[in-house]
Amino acid sequence: MTIMTSKEQGIPAVLCFRRIPDGVREQAFSLGFSDQALLFAVRSDLDLAGEPAEVWTLVAEDRIAALKAGEPRESPVGPFLLKDIQKVRSYQKVGSAFLQVKMDGLYVDVARFSNAERELFGRVARHIQRRIEGQPLPESALSAQSDMRCEQCGLPLPGRKAQCPRCRGGRGIFARTLGLMRPYWPSILLLFLVMIAGVCLDLLPPFLQKTMVDRVLKPEPGAEPLSGAESVRILLMILLGLVVASGGRCLLNIFIGRTTSVIGTRITKELREKLQAKLMSLAVEYYNRHSVGSLMSRVLWDVDYFQGFVTQVAQGFMLNMMLVLGIGSMLFFMNWKLALLVLLPIPFVVVGTTFFWRHIYPRYYKVWDSQSKTAQLLSGLLSGIRLVKAFSQEDRERRRFGATAGYLQESRRSLETSVATFNPIMGFVFGLGGLIIWYAGGREVLQDKITLGTLMAFFGYMGMFYGPISALSMFSNWVTGFLSAGQRVFEVLDATVVVVETKDARPVSHMEGRIEFRNVTFGYDPYAPVLKNVSLTIEPGQFIGIVGKSGSGKTTLVNLLCRFYDPLEGKILVDGVDVREMKQQDLRRQMALVLQEPFLFRASIAENIAYGRPDASPLAILNAARAANAHDFIARRPLAYDTKLGEQGAGLSGGERQRISIARALLCDPKILILDEATSSVDTESEQEIQKALTTLCRGRTTIAIAHRLSTLKNADHIFVIDEGRVIEAGTHEQLLEKQGVYYKLVKIQTELTRLEVQ
Amino acid sequence: MQAPGVQVYDDARLGQVGVRLLTPENTNLFEGSFSLMHCAVQGDTLYRGVYAVVLFPVSQPDRFISLRYTDTNDRNEKEREIGIIDDLKVFSQEAQDMVRKSMAKHYFERRIIRIHKIENRFGLLFFKVETTRGKLDFVMPWRGDRAEDYGSSGKVLLDAFDNRYIIPDLSELPEADRDLLASFIYW
Ligand SMILES: Nc1ncnc2c1ncn2[C@@H]1O[C@H](COP(=O)(O)OP(=O)(O)O)[C@@H](O)[C@H]1O
Ligand SMILES: [Mg+2]
Repeated sequence: MTIMTSKEQGIPAVLCFRRIPDGVREQAFSLGFSDQALLFAVRSDLDLAGEPAEVWTLVAEDRIAALKAGEPRESPVGPFLLKDIQKVRSYQKVGSAFLQVKMDGLYVDVARFSNAERELFGRVARHIQRRIEGQPLPESALSAQSDMRCEQCGLPLPGRKAQCPRCRGGRGIFARTLGLMRPYWPSILLLFLVMIAGVCLDLLPPFLQKTMVDRVLKPEPGAEPLSGAESVRILLMILLGLVVASGGRCLLNIFIGRTTSVIGTRITKELREKLQAKLMSLAVEYYNRHSVGSLMSRVLWDVDYFQGFVTQVAQGFMLNMMLVLGIGSMLFFMNWKLALLVLLPIPFVVVGTTFFWRHIYPRYYKVWDSQSKTAQLLSGLLSGIRLVKAFSQEDRERRRFGATAGYLQESRRSLETSVATFNPIMGFVFGLGGLIIWYAGGREVLQDKITLGTLMAFFGYMGMFYGPISALSMFSNWVTGFLSAGQRVFEVLDATVVVVETKDARPVSHMEGRIEFRNVTFGYDPYAPVLKNVSLTIEPGQFIGIVGKSGSGKTTLVNLLCRFYDPLEGKILVDGVDVREMKQQDLRRQMALVLQEPFLFRASIAENIAYGRPDASPLAILNAARAANAHDFIARRPLAYDTKLGEQGAGLSGGERQRISIARALLCDPKILILDEATSSVDTESEQEIQKALTTLCRGRTTIAIAHRLSTLKNADHIFVIDEGRVIEAGTHEQLLEKQGVYYKLVKIQTELTRLEVQ
Repeated sequence: MQAPGVQVYDDARLGQVGVRLLTPENTNLFEGSFSLMHCAVQGDTLYRGVYAVVLFPVSQPDRFISLRYTDTNDRNEKEREIGIIDDLKVFSQEAQDMVRKSMAKHYFERRIIRIHKIENRFGLLFFKVETTRGKLDFVMPWRGDRAEDYGSSGKVLLDAFDNRYIIPDLSELPEADRDLLASFIYW
């Protein structure tokens, strides 16, 4: 049996069961393989040196080897006997990975594969490992559905387990933008009618002028002469008509302008709100990948394109289309030969504008990029201002900013100078068109083939003709620019919410606070697990301590419990319910989190404490602050609880900030309280005060305290020791001491340190 | 006397607590069992199954090479560093070849030299490119985080499977290709 996955990209990955693949049969037989004993063969796309190749890794009941197809002379890898192999792993390097087997305490490379195949080889490694351990091998485990490609069409997915953009049948950016306008269709219909009226009014003046010239100012020789009074009367009538036409046009313009602006700004406001809401709902993980500067430019600037969209579609495309049609037919109606001459410069206009968009439009992108880079630099600079000053790097930052500002200037200059060159040249070409008509039309007038009035009207129309033409040829390309801005906006709106709330998520009104991690494996990069098969149980009301070296995965554990991320494997249960089945808001409302790096908003101390419960009474705020041992230092401030804090709590010491954030957590009266090294910057004395308050407050609520200072965990009901993403010890303080393991060592080191402090 | 305003740094003191430098004098590199690189350091032990990682792969691709091994005695099979080779060229030719071979195993990147076509469909960019290893197609989600700067004037593109495609220096692409790229990847 052979299974092929899609051929969309590169060499197809192939699995073969119970039959040695054609290219390597002879080699395989000579190495002691046979079809009967073969479990499976898997093909990788690289040889060990990293050259593209067809390499088959054969896994038989007793041995494993890797052979390069069609190259019998090249020495194979292996065969290695399974009984010599202690372990198998898929080992990730940069851009490619290796299937390695451990023999004699050493990892030996068997096969190499590009990142496209690491999902498959991850399974292969697990499969062989099971074989070594003598566990059953379900063949289906190898050929399971890929997370990286669409099940139906094989298209690579924009993210793991993301929806397939083709099969979802997603509409284009354009259609989606039109969809945004749907609520405004009555206004848009009205706009449309008004525009038609406007075009008619536009067509009127040259026609009136023609009548004026031909009947009043310079009557045709054959026509019956008008009396003086009659002439003046008609002149006035025509002038009145002109006033009405241009006045009406003026009113319509006001209406059109105001309406498009109303619709446009509303759509952009809605989009901005949608973006902000989306950004709030996106998992923390998203922000690891995207710079704040580029996200800010999207919310602030890219959305403006959508206002442009309304204007373009209403005032640009439709209007110009109608004008071109209207004026064109007027021209042909008056004199088709001259009208053909009018069309003469059009190819130049089209070629010119095409050139413009091909070569000048990409410069708009650069301007966007430079704007977003400037914003990024500035926001980093301003929030890190103290660091800059502390290392006295103001000069360097000034230069760095200068360089970015220079890039911004250069990209704008390059754009604007080319526009400034292009526009006059186009104007000149149009002018030439006019000259041709002067010549041809002048001759016709001289030969009395047409009247002077007709020629004048012709010029009137012609003046209005080229503008819309060039606008129209720009339109398709404006679309390109719009599409890229739209892409940036929809990219955010479409970002896969890694942490999804299921539709039938359960509301949770009451929580006991029983927590269970069941075989949880998780990594920020799915191929590099940070937590490995963690299982632990926390009973309601317990005070739990978690200790471990920095980087061992303690914060990650908390991140999973708060559901900032979802585990790759395993489950997290709260009161026996998988957190993925709970309403996120409910889950988080029952928890309070004090972070390692406390974040304070630019607001008063009271507002910061009451952040999770804005309606808290002043007394409650005072109590919370007192319990967090923050009350005294706050009271000493001139404005006490009304003291305004600077950016990120500037004006407070690290310990003070931590105590405020503890107060914030306590005020929420959570069922589960999580303290992630919450008192690391607090002095020992205050810590003991806080500890005392906590012992009272923690009664009846589950408390998880991550701490470096082990003395704070002495009274914990249970302590978990984490190392390299595994729970390696667990028990009470006394039990762990008795065990004389890692915890014991840590305690010993710390008591020695404290003794030093005391001396 | 020290000139005013000129800061003098005592790097030697940092060196005492910093990384261990491996030189041909204190280090012997040779091929051992399973053709793996082994490394014996004077006054230390023999390390088996050693591999090399470049510490400044973009800015200093030929220098500061960290020699590492998987500590199979450790329960978590931690990776540990043996020491750092500042300049590989002072080692014997065989040692250099061995380290280079190991470095080549650590990195797998395709270098783009021409871009023939980029097509945007469903928010995915379909690339047709020429690399130093021949013609290639790949698919990349059209997203800001999929293309990053590489050094001061290059780009790394990550396809849908996180394969890496490198343009070491944009200015070395033909102008038409550069414009084509810039009309999609302009950040
Ligand atoms: N957002 C992230 N993206 C990638 N890796 C991360 C991220 N956050 C933490 N890590 C890595 O995960 C490991 C565990 O981190 P963490 O849980 O914060 O450790 P700690 O025990 O000190 O709280 C570390 O090796 C860290 O580098
Ligand atoms: Mg932490």
